[in-house]
Amino acid sequence: MSAPVLEVRDLRKAYGAIQAVGGVSFQVMPGEIFGVIGPNGSGKTTMFNSVLGQIEPDAGEIRLNGADITGLSPLELNRRGVGRTFQTLQVFGKMSVRDNLIVAAQEHKGSMFSRMFAPGDSGLGPKADELIDLFRIRHVADKPAGSLSYGQQKLVDIAMAFMSEPALVLLDEPCAGVNPSLVGGISTLLKELNARRGGSFVVIEHNMDFVMDLCHRIMVMVEGTVMAIGTPAEIRANKAVLDAYLGN
Amino acid sequence: MTDFLQLFFSGMATGSIYALAALGFTLLWQASGTINFAQGEFVMLPAFAMVGLIAAGAPLPLAFVLTVVLAIGVLGWAFKRGVVDPLFRHGMMPIVVATIGLSIALSNGVRAGYSAEAHPFAGMFPDRIFNIAGVTITLADCGTLAFALLLVLATQSFLARTVTGRAMQAVAQNTESATVLGINVPRMIFYTFAINAALACAAALLVTPVYLAKFDMGVSLGTKAFFAAVIGGFNNSRGALLGGVIVGVGENLAAAYVSPQYKDAVALALFMVVILFKPQGLLGRKEERKV
Repeated sequence: MSAPVLEVRDLRKAYGAIQAVGGVSFQVMPGEIFGVIGPNGSGKTTMFNSVLGQIEPDAGEIRLNGADITGLSPLELNRRGVGRTFQTLQVFGKMSVRDNLIVAAQEHKGSMFSRMFAPGDSGLGPKADELIDLFRIRHVADKPAGSLSYGQQKLVDIAMAFMSEPALVLLDEPCAGVNPSLVGGISTLLKELNARRGGSFVVIEHNMDFVMDLCHRIMVMVEGTVMAIGTPAEIRANKAVLDAYLGN
Repeated sequence: MTDFLQLFFSGMATGSIYALAALGFTLLWQASGTINFAQGEFVMLPAFAMVGLIAAGAPLPLAFVLTVVLAIGVLGWAFKRGVVDPLFRHGMMPIVVATIGLSIALSNGVRAGYSAEAHPFAGMFPDRIFNIAGVTITLADCGTLAFALLLVLATQSFLARTVTGRAMQAVAQNTESATVLGINVPRMIFYTFAINAALACAAALLVTPVYLAKFDMGVSLGTKAFFAAVIGGFNNSRGALLGGVIVGVGENLAAAYVSPQYKDAVALALFMVVILFKPQGLLGRKEERKV
């Protein structure tokens, strides 16, 4: 059995008397799409931000490919191959779609000197074009990202996270605010990326159909703790999860 | 008509110097949300540094290069670490107040510690006059305009075409996203401060032969550069160029056709008109405010 890409052990984070995350442990395996669901206030985002170095956890350990990454900055995590998307749009609105993709990976190329003086696309043009085609945004590739529709910007946002070919991508509500007709398309794209490039994804999402369709395993969080981890079928059949979260 | 063209051209040359200082305002604002009201003094200090180095025997090009290196350290790195970084988390207003204080401290520090006199400064262009179709143009005006435009275009080209320039733009547009994408945000912000310091040195090189090196030379220059940045659009570096040229030409024409006494009021009047009718500036974009 292969070693996990991401391993979270007994992660804890409290805000005053409120225990936002109380001893969460899970593993994400190579090539796995791992979903995280739970009601609002269940600690998903706090857990997510702790893994991504945006919040310092009170206790616990986070390991990436066996190496301890607890408390590392987002910058350092990016260099170690962790990508992310945000719940809200984070594209660079004044740059073209193509430049958005190039800037998303350029820090992984060349020396400080070459980055300062070398013009061009840092050799990232072909990779950007590949993602532009995969995400079907060729017709807007030269437009400023800020001028696109919300759904198109969301696609750019997701594509940017994959430009540096990270080993692990954390997607925070990729369907938030997206037209329902586009949700299926995002799921198909993520599956295609997973099949083509490998890599592991952790997805927080409220859209149950999306999560059940996309993820290999799902973790259910309630009140800062893990209620269940299992395949979509196991989660659907879990009585405690049904009672606490999914309902009938 | 000949007089008008002459005034227009020399106004463009003066305006291009304002544009250099204004470009510093826009760069700092876009990259770090900082308004530096000591920008005029950031031009005055390099002027005195060059005066000192030339007095010590350094030729002008060497004096300029050494001054740029010194300015990047003092007006770039030390200013960022000593003034902006500690105050940044408290919002923009403490930085504004601190830079106003810094401006007063620097000008009075030079007056008290070095000299209250105006020091002549040899220009980089020889005294030569051209006559084109009856319009008299000095080589200094031509050279100043060309050099300043070259620097503005080079800065824009650096920001638009190089990997680091794009990273600096990314930081200016969305710091959080830039961090997550692996861009070293503090380093990019430092580069902005360093470019601002270098542009201030270039402005000093061009303006000091006209204004002379004096402790209070930065007051008027800094104010006009600020007005120019607002007129052109504080969030658009091309706007700094446009604003600088408008202020330079406007004050030259006003001095000739209205009264020299109103020369300095032109920038203020233009600033007020723009603030009233197009507050984002002529080339600026409206920005959403995060609450």
